[in-house]
Amino acid sequence: MTVKASSGFLSRSNFGPKALAILIALFLIMFLAVPVAKVFIVAFQDPSTGSFTLINFVDFFKTSLFRESFWNSFYVSSVSVVVASIIALPLAYFTSRFNFGGTVIIQTLGIVPLIMPPFVGAVAMQLLFGSNGSVNLLLDEHLGFTIPFMEGLNGVIFVQSIHYFPFILINLSAALANIDRSMEESALSLGSNGMRLFRRIVFPLSMPGYVAGASIVFIKVFDDLGTPLLLNVNNMLAPQAYLRISSVGISDPMGYVISVILVIFSLFAMWVAFLALRGKDYATTQKGGGGLMKRDMKPAEKFIAYAIVLFILAVVLSPHLALGLLSFGTIWSYSVLPDAYTLEHYAEVFSSAGDFIKNTLLYAGMAATIDVVIGTAIAYIVWRTKIKGRKILDYLAMSALAVPGVVLGIGYLRTFYQFDVPFKDIPLANYWLIIVIALAIRRLPYAMRACVAALQQVSVSLEEASESLGARKMTTVKRIVIPLMTGGILAGFVTSFATAAVELSATIMLVSSEADAPIAYGIYVFMQSAAGRGPGAALGILAVVIVALGTYVSNRIIQKANQKNAMSPDQH
Amino acid sequence: MAFQNKEVIKKLTTVVIGSTALMLSLSVNAADGQLTIVTSFPSDLTKVFKKAFEKDNPGIKLEILKKKTTAGVKYIQETSAKNRTDLFWASAPDAFEVLKDDSLLQKYESSVKGLPDKVGAFPVNDPDGYYKGFAAAGYGIMWNERYIKAKKLPAPAQWADLTKAVYHNHVGMSAPSRSGTTHLTVETLLQGKGWDEGWKMQKEIAGNFKTVTERSFGVPDGVNSGNFGIGIVIDFFGLSSKGSGFPVDFVYPTATTLVPANIAIVANAPNKENAGKFIDYLLEPNGQELLLDPKIRRLPVNPATYAKAPEGFPNPFKDSSIGAAVKFDLTKSKNRYNLVNSLFDVMITYRLDDLRKATKAIQDAEAALAKKPNDDAAKLIAEARALIAKLPIDEAKSLDKEFAGIFKKKRKKATDKVTGRQAEVEQEWDKFVVENYAKAKELAEKAQSML
Amino acid sequence: MTQNKSTAGISIKNLGLSFGTTEVLKGVNLEIEPGEFFSFLGPSGSGKSTLLRAISGFGPDPTGSIKIGGEEVTGLPAWQRNVGMVFQSYALWPHMTIRKNVAFGLEERKVSSTEIDGRVDDALDLVGLKHLADRTPGQLSGGQQQRIALARTIVVEPRVLLLDEPLSNLDANLRVQMRRDILALQRELGLTTIFVTHDQEEANTISDRMAVLDKGIIQQIGTPVELYDQPQNRFVASFLGTANIIEGSITEGHFVAEKDFKIPVKTDLTGNIYLVIRPQSVTISETEVTENNRSYSLKGNIEYSEFLGETVRYSVLSNGHSILADESHLRGNKIVANGQDVWVEIEKDQILLLDR
Repeated sequence: MTVKASSGFLSRSNFGPKALAILIALFLIMFLAVPVAKVFIVAFQDPSTGSFTLINFVDFFKTSLFRESFWNSFYVSSVSVVVASIIALPLAYFTSRFNFGGTVIIQTLGIVPLIMPPFVGAVAMQLLFGSNGSVNLLLDEHLGFTIPFMEGLNGVIFVQSIHYFPFILINLSAALANIDRSMEESALSLGSNGMRLFRRIVFPLSMPGYVAGASIVFIKVFDDLGTPLLLNVNNMLAPQAYLRISSVGISDPMGYVISVILVIFSLFAMWVAFLALRGKDYATTQKGGGGLMKRDMKPAEKFIAYAIVLFILAVVLSPHLALGLLSFGTIWSYSVLPDAYTLEHYAEVFSSAGDFIKNTLLYAGMAATIDVVIGTAIAYIVWRTKIKGRKILDYLAMSALAVPGVVLGIGYLRTFYQFDVPFKDIPLANYWLIIVIALAIRRLPYAMRACVAALQQVSVSLEEASESLGARKMTTVKRIVIPLMTGGILAGFVTSFATAAVELSATIMLVSSEADAPIAYGIYVFMQSAAGRGPGAALGILAVVIVALGTYVSNRIIQKANQKNAMSPDQH
Repeated sequence: MAFQNKEVIKKLTTVVIGSTALMLSLSVNAADGQLTIVTSFPSDLTKVFKKAFEKDNPGIKLEILKKKTTAGVKYIQETSAKNRTDLFWASAPDAFEVLKDDSLLQKYESSVKGLPDKVGAFPVNDPDGYYKGFAAAGYGIMWNERYIKAKKLPAPAQWADLTKAVYHNHVGMSAPSRSGTTHLTVETLLQGKGWDEGWKMQKEIAGNFKTVTERSFGVPDGVNSGNFGIGIVIDFFGLSSKGSGFPVDFVYPTATTLVPANIAIVANAPNKENAGKFIDYLLEPNGQELLLDPKIRRLPVNPATYAKAPEGFPNPFKDSSIGAAVKFDLTKSKNRYNLVNSLFDVMITYRLDDLRKATKAIQDAEAALAKKPNDDAAKLIAEARALIAKLPIDEAKSLDKEFAGIFKKKRKKATDKVTGRQAEVEQEWDKFVVENYAKAKELAEKAQSML
Repeated sequence: MTQNKSTAGISIKNLGLSFGTTEVLKGVNLEIEPGEFFSFLGPSGSGKSTLLRAISGFGPDPTGSIKIGGEEVTGLPAWQRNVGMVFQSYALWPHMTIRKNVAFGLEERKVSSTEIDGRVDDALDLVGLKHLADRTPGQLSGGQQQRIALARTIVVEPRVLLLDEPLSNLDANLRVQMRRDILALQRELGLTTIFVTHDQEEANTISDRMAVLDKGIIQQIGTPVELYDQPQNRFVASFLGTANIIEGSITEGHFVAEKDFKIPVKTDLTGNIYLVIRPQSVTISETEVTENNRSYSLKGNIEYSEFLGETVRYSVLSNGHSILADESHLRGNKIVANGQDVWVEIEKDQILLLDR
């Protein structure tokens, strides 16, 4: 009864997956490869003659504003990595070296910043840490000096660091936990200890994990549009690209030049991370694990450790606190706290911002659905079939990581302006569906990885058992594979949803009318007017709640799925 | 367990497909009457008008596309082949001039009659009938009362006040290249005081800047939140902030101008009739009254509306001091628009640090001089001031059409391989300015060391 | 490399160690002579690794005393004890070359770089892997890594050498070769060595003396032959090799067990005892055998047999006791069938009686 797996291209047993693979490839090409290619082409094109030229890049580097923006983006990203490392290092040290009671706090610290996108809290941070903000007013009054937390680029660095340090913390902690204990013990038995031991053994072995985390932070800060925009820092690359396209026009080559530079740097950072882990993946050459030796803390050490952790906790929670105050405050001007408190802003949000919320749920929901469907399909095609060229699908989907949101937005504007949506008289670039697609493409790499992980939990022998009992491929997939993957798929869905709900970079490029706008855009618009701060903050809190709920639900689903799958025997 | 999961997936799929279908179907049912407006006004203003207009005209649905003035102009230019926009609604009249020149507007004769021709010294409507003014705005100074109280600063009243040493590092302003309204402020100063005197004062004020904000809103925002104490703003920013409850106040200096905010119907508008209705609505008493909303606070063009205004609300028809001092020449402004932008940016925005340091040195020296009079020192200081005020070009050059034409915001390779491409000229000016500021600082420090 | 001048003896007195509230080592007393190859043998969980680690300075602080070369080391951190330890996982640092790995300890001791180079070369020569000096650990096989780990430890000339189950990750053939090499190396260096293993064959073949541990307590210390021939308790008797152990008691000069099992014995022990007899000292015969000077005979019946290659092991049921008997197997020998009635001969002077 078994059909021999033929290697013919459109053989019956392969037709389903093949057709699917082609469809997905077309989707990715149309909505990822083509727009990005278009961006590259325009950047290298002479605007008047259309021939290939490097003159746009020459002009870019000749203009002092752009050189400055380039340098600033680089500077801000690098310093953000440094500051984020400074925050993460002591925390990683405490959890890996000691039996520290505050480990739970640190783990919370690892998640809390990620539930609020940096741009949401940026404005509120101004009120707390600005040159005449709460902290500085107190400092000036009692100690007679102020600290320029939020001046110019400092503001961007500050907000980004306290948002992104969890990436470094998590990677570093994992790297430290993966160190085979005997690595350290053998060094100790050979006479090394303390700083020397750290420098020669612990540090090099945790380096790859650290570099991986650091390069992620670097590229996310480098590409981010929302935060500098809301802090009114325009002399950086991403805001410059946005400004050029939105105020000078789609035909301005500078916006494209900047896009190309952003993509190249993204690829470079990814390559660095890849190199750091490849060949130096020390986890596989170490047999044990068990992490470093932990010892108990002396009371003085405990005191210092708790002090540091609580201080960091306070700083990390400050955007949330500030946003909360702003959302409930009446007037907050040149004072440590708002003058009075009110629920008006929330009332306004719920009455007039219903559209934003509705749009967000719709867009994020659709995008997340697209993501898990495509993600599951790609996972199955790549890992369970032998279709030629299937790896390309994987790489194509993952390449979305290298494309910053602002670049994708620009690419879409350029590519789809000529197309009209069927049945309607609107260019595709202005239709709200394009926002959904942009969100889906941007989140696809993460969703796909979640689906791949879920698939790898399902042992091949489970499928084989089904087939040996007479079920066809399609039935097996439907009745066995997908149900067993559900936990992972759902988790992927929720994560996609939660992050798509607060995406701003691509959204702001593609939103053409407020009726089509999601929450992130709504926050941006509100923050542009004096009376809008309060409602904007209220909307921001709403966005945070959505993301927090999403993260929590996702974690619970993963936990439950893990419990269930723990019963199944050999995991391949 | 697997059964439950399947159920979940099924439900989820149904929900998503269902809501998508719903959304699509809803958007297909367009309202019978439609009106698309490209505007640079903030939602605080557009929301109020949209609600009121739609209430009065239930068959018409407004679609507001918010874009910065320059972006709006670009948008209309780029979509002109397949135009979907009905109205262009913005502040700066020069944007309308640009569109008018490109033949992208159409004439409209409003049914509302009896409105004055001028507000202050400025004509309300386009004499050719392409665009109408519906509100006016002037420029002035706003300040944060808590801030100046805490830092013991006097409340300012005139532009000249802002040059005083006491305001050093407390003033904020946007740049003309980033904000149409700011551009008009600067141009008003130049036309009111003259090219040389105007730039001199502008630079003396700039020497007291804490920051040059990225957009015009950044100024009232900064003053509202107490980031800096004093802002140079368009009046409704100050008035609406005050109306929203912030502890701020606003004043018109004598050398100010009132400029109308305008609206025009775009050529080939798909809903020409509805567009006309909207313009009429703006000019009718009901529409004009909306301008008094505390979140909006712009000056109506209908004198009768002021009867309903709150106490202390400026009335240009009664108070002739507002905006009458300067007769604004729109053509002059148009011809040297980009040049002024570049000059401001090169001399002030990009070199703010240098300018600030030089100004501080001079202010410190002058303070010392007041205590210990010294002729030589005084001469050095005067020289230093002159160096700062020095300009790379004179007014005549600024009005030279060929020279001004070099300054395009966008780089177009096809045109003008004439001497002095924009970047080259700006590079020259930059060098000029950096040298002078540095020398001025040197001289001032020398003067101080003598005291 | 020169003979180790500074090798030391180890003296452990009344050592106890607990993880939290769980006692893992109890009342350990041990004297190891300088230059001795000493093994810790026991099942998993017996505490042998824990004891080794306590000597090297890892794990919770123990009670009692550990002296190396007469010097008390309890209380000293690991890096001050100058003991060489080879780990089960070899623990070569993957980010350093072999040369750097081996040089590590010397660098910590601030030896001059020329001297380091020389000593590293010598150590690598000793283990026969000098040609791999510039590779990284990931490029070496398990056996090679093991030898490098050794080289790294002996290059610093420690006072004692501690090996924590160093061969358990290698496959069978390699293990045999490696243990011979390790023994040869130890003899050449004359280094006091403690070797931890759960494999009796390893312990038997290379140890001068060994200690058998069970549940954190030292059961017996002695040479391999001593432990095998004269186990002092039931655990040691059954752990080393295979043994028939019958529970019974001494009554009127006889060893009596249930089901009428009765053998006359000569002993001073009284009360409850174990009778221990190894399978190789039990013979079966299909023809009747009567008691003689050499052995007792019992009647029995074959329950089952296991063909082990060199021997055939029979399980004979006699008087309600299953007794194992090993018969050497030569080509052509027939295997006695199950159910066959046989006579069992037990060699008299091979019987061991242990107090219960």
